[in-house]
Amino acid sequence: TISEDDIEDVLWELQLELLEGDVALEVAEKITESVKKELVGKKVKRSTDIDKYTRNALKNAILEILKTDSNVEDLLKIKKKPFVILFVGVNGTGKTTTIAKLAKYFMEKGLVPVIAAADTFRAGAIEQITKHGEKLGVKVIKHKKGSDPAAVAYDAVNHAKSKNKDVVLIDTAGRMQTNMNLMEEMAKIKRVVNPDFIIFVGDALTGNDAVEQAKMFDEKIGIDGVILTKADADTRGGAAISISYVIGKPILFLGIGQNYDDLIEFKPEWVVKQLFT
Amino acid sequence: MAIGGTMLGKLGEKLRKSIKKLAKMPIVDEKVVKEVIKDLQRALIQADVNVKLVFKLSKSIEKRALKEEPPKGITPKEHVIKIVYEELTKLLGKKSYKLKIDKKPYKILFVGLQGSGKTTTVAKLAHYLRLKGYNSAVVCTDTWRTAAYDQLKQLTEEINVPMYGDPNEDNPIRLAKEGLNKFKNYDVILFDTAGRHKNEKELLDEMEMLSKEINPDEIILVIDGTIGQQAKSQAKAFSERVKIGSIIVTKLDGSAKGGGALSAVSEVGAPIKFIGTGEKIDDLEEFDPARFMSRLLGM
Ligand SMILES: Nc1nc2c(ncn2[C@@H]2O[C@H](COP(=O)(O)OP(=O)(O)OP(=O)(O)O)[C@@H](O)[C@H]2O)c(=O)[nH]1
Ligand SMILES: Nc1nc2c(ncn2[C@@H]2O[C@H](COP(=O)(O)OP(=O)(O)OP(=O)(O)O)[C@@H](O)[C@H]2O)c(=O)[nH]1
Ligand SMILES: [K+]
Ligand SMILES: [Mg+2]
Ligand SMILES: [Mg+2]
Repeated sequence: TISEDDIEDVLWELQLELLEGDVALEVAEKITESVKKELVGKKVKRSTDIDKYTRNALKNAILEILKTDSNVEDLLKIKKKPFVILFVGVNGTGKTTTIAKLAKYFMEKGLVPVIAAADTFRAGAIEQITKHGEKLGVKVIKHKKGSDPAAVAYDAVNHAKSKNKDVVLIDTAGRMQTNMNLMEEMAKIKRVVNPDFIIFVGDALTGNDAVEQAKMFDEKIGIDGVILTKADADTRGGAAISISYVIGKPILFLGIGQNYDDLIEFKPEWVVKQLFT
Repeated sequence: MAIGGTMLGKLGEKLRKSIKKLAKMPIVDEKVVKEVIKDLQRALIQADVNVKLVFKLSKSIEKRALKEEPPKGITPKEHVIKIVYEELTKLLGKKSYKLKIDKKPYKILFVGLQGSGKTTTVAKLAHYLRLKGYNSAVVCTDTWRTAAYDQLKQLTEEINVPMYGDPNEDNPIRLAKEGLNKFKNYDVILFDTAGRHKNEKELLDEMEMLSKEINPDEIILVIDGTIGQQAKSQAKAFSERVKIGSIIVTKLDGSAKGGGALSAVSEVGAPIKFIGTGEKIDDLEEFDPARFMSRLLGM
């Protein structure tokens, strides 16, 4: 039988590896705690390499957290027309770039997207998404800078309805999850367009704050799926674990660069590989 | 120096409790010190300070707490807090480092990861300097990010600061050269650059060439306050290519504690001079080490 003493050291080591891989502290502690509970008292063959055994148990626990029943293909299937997707997240994570990548993703499936330039706040935001639209050949619905973002989103949905387009991608201004006015503004956009899917765009370089961000956006707005960007910046993937652990929503894609094709489907194994090699 | 009462009031809940135990001790008890250290480690890791740095810090704090006699009139509790404060101060500096404009034109180059807040901070700092009476101008050398030019143009128009850039030019070196020439009579020239990270070798090459061309008086590394453990290695990759003179930490208006910036400070040995506390032009504050420390320890 495995005793607490047998696995204490290796669990501590594993916990450090999780922390160094950007798994949030409270999540790293809970995961190692659950592995400890699972293993202590378990009967194993005398020849078992306990360290390796524990390590594997932890890997499995992580895969279990990241596992989902449905794949990206199904989640983003156009169940109605237009299929409205709202993008949310804190400042500078890569929402606008990711929308351009997803527009291309849908076009490659033979679908016609339209983009709503509903970041009416940040300097250059409308120009940024407009230029992406021009490059990709996607219509961008926009109003003046400073105008009501909900109205832009609403217009884009109406445009899609009248032009029989398949997908509406709504770009929104980045906002801190602690800013209640801006979170309320986001809730209003949601009320007005009633999106079919809400994607939280997170930065893979985020540390412990990933937990707070995911929690608050899920609580105040609701999250259906997650995309993690900048995974090409030598990240260990801990943010994926933190976010999945606290909100239990599927991670759809990883952003792996600044070009339109730099978007790959998320695989739980990627995290384990990044963390432990 | 704000030790004892004031510092204690700002420490994290758990840390505060374990320090309270110390308060009841006539002498510094090893077991209790270890407990305090453990809570300190958790607070700092939760604040995104580099894990290895946390252990290095806590080791020297523990050693000192157990070895050094508390000076007369200071309780064991106050003594440990004082040591924590001193060890963190060794990294952050005692007082805030000011931005000194000591020649003309004073050339500042902004570098950092994608989306960290460079462009916004360039405009904020230009505005700040203007209020201090310096004539500043801004150059956009970002030829990568879509509409980088429009963003900086709108930001600088709002504050009436001249800006040079050319959305049709794809060579950042040429843009830097032209900007230098155009603004040579200004007090300060601020250069915005594209975002890049440690695995993008060509972009790091580009940054190095830009730095050679501009020959800046100060290079500012802009760090996203929400960054985690990657802060250290990313900062290292930048400082291996150019000499980082100071750091600005952005997005501290959220709930992140900014420990990534501390890791960067310890890695590149440059001080934090400002923090960003919002998206608006005047959401820029001079760095205050004592306040930052309280934030790290979890108020
Ligand atoms: N290396 C890398 N850079 C990325 C990735 N995704 C986005 N970026 C870059 O990150 C920066 C910010 O991207 P944006 O799309 O403007 O981010 P945003 O979330 O829309 O920003 P705000 O609207 O200001 O909140 C840009 O320089 C992008 O090119 C990625 O997967 N990898
Ligand atoms: N809340 C908050 N947002 C900030 C702060 N500083 C910058 N931002 C926002 O962060 C996002 C990214 O800022 P940018 O200035 O575009 O970042 P950048 O480093 O120039 O990005 P790239 O050029 O794409 O690498 C924008 O939405 C800014 O408004 C800050 O201190 N607080
Ligand atoms: K970020
Ligand atoms: Mg955007
Ligand atoms: Mg920029």
